[in-house]
Amino acid sequence: MVVVNLAVLAWMLITSLREHREIFASPFAWPSFAWDNYAEAWRSADFGVAAANSLVLVATAAPAVVVVAAPAGYALGRSIGRAAASLTLYFALGIGVPVQVIVIPLFVLMERLSLVNNLFGLFLLYVTVSLPFTVFLLTGYFASLPAELEEAAAIDGASRLRTFWTIMLPLARSGLITALILNAIGLWNEAFLALVFVQSTDKQTLPLALLGFLAKQQYSGADYGVLFAGVTILVLPMLLLYVWLGRRIVEGMTLGTGK
Amino acid sequence: MAVLVREHTTVHRGQGPTITRQRRRAFLVLALPAVVLYTIFFVGPTVASFWVSLHAWDGVTEMRWRGLDNFTLLFEDEVFLAAFRNTLAILLAGGVLVFLLSFALLLGMRAMTGRRFARSVIFFPNIIAPIVLSVLWGFLFSTDGLVNAALGGMGLDAPNWLGDHLFLVIFLGLIWTNTGFYVTILMASTDRIPRYFYEAAELDGAGPLQQFKHITMPLTWDVVTISAVIWTISSLKVFDFIYAFGGTSNDLPPIHTWNTAVFIYGQTFGGRVPAYSFGYASASAVITLVSVVVFVLLLRRVMRRDPIQF
Repeated sequence: MVVVNLAVLAWMLITSLREHREIFASPFAWPSFAWDNYAEAWRSADFGVAAANSLVLVATAAPAVVVVAAPAGYALGRSIGRAAASLTLYFALGIGVPVQVIVIPLFVLMERLSLVNNLFGLFLLYVTVSLPFTVFLLTGYFASLPAELEEAAAIDGASRLRTFWTIMLPLARSGLITALILNAIGLWNEAFLALVFVQSTDKQTLPLALLGFLAKQQYSGADYGVLFAGVTILVLPMLLLYVWLGRRIVEGMTLGTGK
Repeated sequence: MAVLVREHTTVHRGQGPTITRQRRRAFLVLALPAVVLYTIFFVGPTVASFWVSLHAWDGVTEMRWRGLDNFTLLFEDEVFLAAFRNTLAILLAGGVLVFLLSFALLLGMRAMTGRRFARSVIFFPNIIAPIVLSVLWGFLFSTDGLVNAALGGMGLDAPNWLGDHLFLVIFLGLIWTNTGFYVTILMASTDRIPRYFYEAAELDGAGPLQQFKHITMPLTWDVVTISAVIWTISSLKVFDFIYAFGGTSNDLPPIHTWNTAVFIYGQTFGGRVPAYSFGYASASAVITLVSVVVFVLLLRRVMRRDPIQF
């Protein structure tokens, strides 16, 4: 399985550098380095606009999720009492709700707010659908921090808000960064909401551009070299991130399952 | 002394409630933005889909009350029943296969050198867009793709995978992309088991399978349970991976490969001529949600055992 994964990845990168004819004629030969594929993908499939949209969305929505979820995570993770416990459960239940279950009322709601086919609308949706998991993750993270520092701050007369801002937030930096990265990955790859809520080409995100490109190919004849160039544009940032921060990503995504 | 004590009590009486009040206010201020956003854009729509499922509605004109008609219609709808069967196949058969494969990989990787690297590679599909995985997977199984080239090389018949066995291809693809996640979780929990348990078992003459059955399984049972819950939830969320298989032929993939998520999309926004049957699709959304709850509760019930401390 390891070999298969590596092979598929290498094969994807190499194919993206081939001429179309070459892919089927000599599938295992060294590519002719057709960098034109990338230029072609960038131009013909509107990958340029889509990449910019995706970048803007991820760069704003992922930090926004953390900004909204961090105080909530702190409040829920560091309070004892029935209110905090039931609110924690309230958020955790959201993890079990598939997006396709809420998409219909959501569409009507967004339409009434005139936020359909609108990047701000998509931003808003991305923030909310990411909330349950992020709050859950950060609640667990804040709960695991030592209580002594917080008590010391309370004795020194710091208010709860101040304690949160000056003491706990810096302590939780590692958890916040993990949450940020996981959301960035998830939103970069997100396709379902974009598919439903974006209609015009100039507002589409990268996964949509790729889908559009797939659909277009049946009319104009398939050029798999260009297709794989498009795929690589979508995958490469994630691959680099993974090589750079792999351990943190793996641990974050599987967190909450161990003890 | 008496003065001091009295002072102390007054101070206490005066400040105690203010502190709790202050703390409570701080709690509210901190949690409020998340709670408000989540309630309006997530919980609200969840509840609303129950209401919508009892109506006929296209999202624009007036809603018409239909009671439970949407549900009775759904259970007579061949397309929905097929989609529901596919969802269950992915959930149950897929789940069993994912866990068998995960445990097999776990056993195989125990003594392997470079297992951290191997783990990272197996986990990798989890951070790739499902659409991309779907394109790659479809390409492997295309008529003159690598799988058929390999089969041909071995002198075997090359079936038309994407034409005749598309759901099987999708099914296998889902297992391929998801196994890494569970291997990672399970590996983290098996790594916590002290080595001397296995050494002692080995001295007693237990083989690898017996060790697995009597040491690994009982001690990782909690994590296995949670993993099963995660699989249940995530298998019902599968959409992109199936949807992208329609990319080169039509707007939606062939009907026999749909799961309930694609069904909902197909009844509302999807296809060349969107149907916008919001009420009907909401009924299947409600069924999806109920299945999540039922399966998670069942799992917890079936898999509950006394935790073992070690």
